[in-house]
Amino acid sequence: MSIMEYNGGSVVAMKGKNCVAIATDTRLGSQALTVACNFDKVFPVTEKTYIGLAGLGSDVATLKSKFRYRMKIYEMKEERTMEPETFAHLVSSTLYERRFGPYFVEPVIAGISSSGDPFIAGADLIGCLNFAKDVVVAGTASDKLYGMAEGLWEPDMDEDQLFECISQSLLGALERDALSGWGAIVRVITPTKVIERTLKARMD
Amino acid sequence: TPIGHQFSPYDSNGGSILAIAGPDFCVVAGDTRQSTGYSIQTRYKPKVFRLNDVATLATNGFSADAEALVDKVKQRLVFYRHNHGTHMSLNAIARMISTMLYGKRFFPYYVYNILGGVDEEGKGAVYSFDPVGSYERETCRAAGAAQSLLQPFLDNQIMYKNQQPTPGRPIPAPGTYDVATVLRITMDSFTSATERHIEVGDGLEMFIVRTAPAA
Repeated sequence: MSIMEYNGGSVVAMKGKNCVAIATDTRLGSQALTVACNFDKVFPVTEKTYIGLAGLGSDVATLKSKFRYRMKIYEMKEERTMEPETFAHLVSSTLYERRFGPYFVEPVIAGISSSGDPFIAGADLIGCLNFAKDVVVAGTASDKLYGMAEGLWEPDMDEDQLFECISQSLLGALERDALSGWGAIVRVITPTKVIERTLKARMD
Repeated sequence: TPIGHQFSPYDSNGGSILAIAGPDFCVVAGDTRQSTGYSIQTRYKPKVFRLNDVATLATNGFSADAEALVDKVKQRLVFYRHNHGTHMSLNAIARMISTMLYGKRFFPYYVYNILGGVDEEGKGAVYSFDPVGSYERETCRAAGAAQSLLQPFLDNQIMYKNQQPTPGRPIPAPGTYDVATVLRITMDSFTSATERHIEVGDGLEMFIVRTAPAA
């Protein structure tokens, strides 16, 4: 048993035309036992940048606090909000700092830069960054998410199309993963607003 | 220091297979790459086999076992024809394969099989097996290295899972697509799997099993 699969859970992010989306399931388990179905794994770090953390539940909570702390310090010192790409590098160096005793998480970052460009990135547990132009996946259903997203995703989708694409990708993947599911939340981020929707998912 | 040697009778040869049933046909497909570890042994090794006019068998896993099994299945089909003067029906082939696999319950054929064809009513049918003979009839099934990439996509595009009808876009019943649509979904599935899985690629071989058009 790998510690990365102890609690279960998955995150996916996608790029669209002037928008990005990030979605997660809400399960928290202890191997085969489901403990909670309200464990949201996506957190806001600025108004237009979100981070999803799939992996060990305790490290998800720890890093969520750690990134909040580091963002506040940055905003006070710099008197501006952080760019999503800058944040990706902050995530990377924070994880590599623990190179030989890592946090067991796979982060997914989605945001809109100050110039309005959509941005997504992923990383492994020691901070190797992946700046994908289409899709980033993480968690116990990642291979299923790759299969769904590779088939459904196309360039330049608007916010409604992107919502449908990421929702179908996540829901399809969750149904074939025993460790993910029990609810899903999708956030579509545009330069002007964040649309948050809770999906009706199978509760088994 | 002593050196231990151990012979392993099994290998994993990668690749993926898939079958989708339609109203009066069945599409059975597989990629043609054969590999071991990170090495490609050949770019063209068929793993989908025509058995008779109504049945096609797709095999995946350990290719030596697959070949041995297919040879024996074909041999049994010849015996059956000689004994009964007719070809074997699809459901009968499925049960026969199940007993042949279970016959090696304690030294299994390391092969996942998908049998595609048309049943005795002329309807498209897919039977999927595990290596020791547990089997089930389904509308669609993927197996092999990229099974986890292919199957959720088929659930969505063939079984319409998580889709709801909207005005002007009704949801059809699963298994009612025409051949052209099924072939398109099959090709899209494999191009996606090829993008994201290193053991899948090189070629795609698709068989269409159809009932003879009415004379």
